[in-house]
Amino acid sequence: MSLPYSRVLAVTAIFALLSVSGAGAQGDAGIKVGSAAPVLSVNDLDGRPVNLAQWIGKKPVVLEFWATWCENCEALLPRFREARKLTGDRVEYIGVNVTVNQTPARVRRYMEQHDVPFRVLYDDEGASTRAYQAPATSYVVIVDAAGKVVYTGVGAEQEFEPALRRAAGVTQ
Amino acid sequence: MTRKPRMGYVAGGPVVGIGLFIVTIAVLPSRLLGQDSTIGKPTAVLVDGPREGERAPDFSLPWASKDTTGGASWFSLSGQRGRLVLLAFYPRDFTPGCTAELKTFTEQYADLFGDDVVVVGISADSLETHQRFAQSLNLPFRLLSDPDQKVSRKFGSADRNGYNRRTVYLIDRNGRVSYTDLRFGALDPKAYTRLKAAVQAARRGA
Repeated sequence: MSLPYSRVLAVTAIFALLSVSGAGAQGDAGIKVGSAAPVLSVNDLDGRPVNLAQWIGKKPVVLEFWATWCENCEALLPRFREARKLTGDRVEYIGVNVTVNQTPARVRRYMEQHDVPFRVLYDDEGASTRAYQAPATSYVVIVDAAGKVVYTGVGAEQEFEPALRRAAGVTQ
Repeated sequence: MTRKPRMGYVAGGPVVGIGLFIVTIAVLPSRLLGQDSTIGKPTAVLVDGPREGERAPDFSLPWASKDTTGGASWFSLSGQRGRLVLLAFYPRDFTPGCTAELKTFTEQYADLFGDDVVVVGISADSLETHQRFAQSLNLPFRLLSDPDQKVSRKFGSADRNGYNRRTVYLIDRNGRVSYTDLRFGALDPKAYTRLKAAVQAARRGA
């Protein structure tokens, strides 16, 4: 039995609609790659607002949404130290503490005990967490010099280095 | 209940079918949650859990804790009558990111909840996985196993592929829903502030 062409087309259209609206496999992370990175102010540990506009769109930026209790974040630290050695100040490294189950004092203690290779911000309003749709701590977002999101990932096993090298223009 | 939206076969040909589909999307936007707070992606899942003030649907599920898999003893919602109950639906055990929500519930248990609140986490994982997960986080509360997501669907919290969306339902002492957060932001400090306030209000009987 052959189905009328219009019916096949209609069924295809419905499936296409469903697949678009349900895009993304489980575990996909946060903000869409290719979108413009949100530019907003986030407080530092002293409660002073820091505007991301001073870096986003001007140089590559690495954001990690982290917490002191996050084992995956700690596992990523040596890799970010290496990356920072490689790129130097050509890339801005920002660690946005998610402030959930945190205090500024706890974060400061952690920073004293660990060589944290980030400029640390303390998002007690949750504004950047929402804007970047952070799904979990250890969420890494890489923004290129044009202000476009070129990478997102989560967890200790993620491989952010190739995207970072491309964004920074490092060939090594 | 007549308001429950259902997805199923649409009679009347493709044009009517597409029309009904589009009308469903247009008429029920508040019941179509646009985004899973865990994965940050739009979903097409119809959401129809009980609303605040409504009686929570009863259910029974097997449970595990860090110490035991519960054996023949099941968790029954109606069996908790007279106590405040927090149902925390979450995607899965051992997802790649650190589990901010359950860690925070654990470390701030006394501040957020206190001894008079029964907290349970619910996902589709097995009891064995639940027990390992509870041990890994030293959880002071039970995890319920809902492998076919029947209960998660009752509470509008089932996503696709066996994952739950991250939602919380606070049930008062009379079995009514007193607070919901259908996009619980595990990394949003305000989500916990609102939840704590809701628990305090429910405790006062507000």
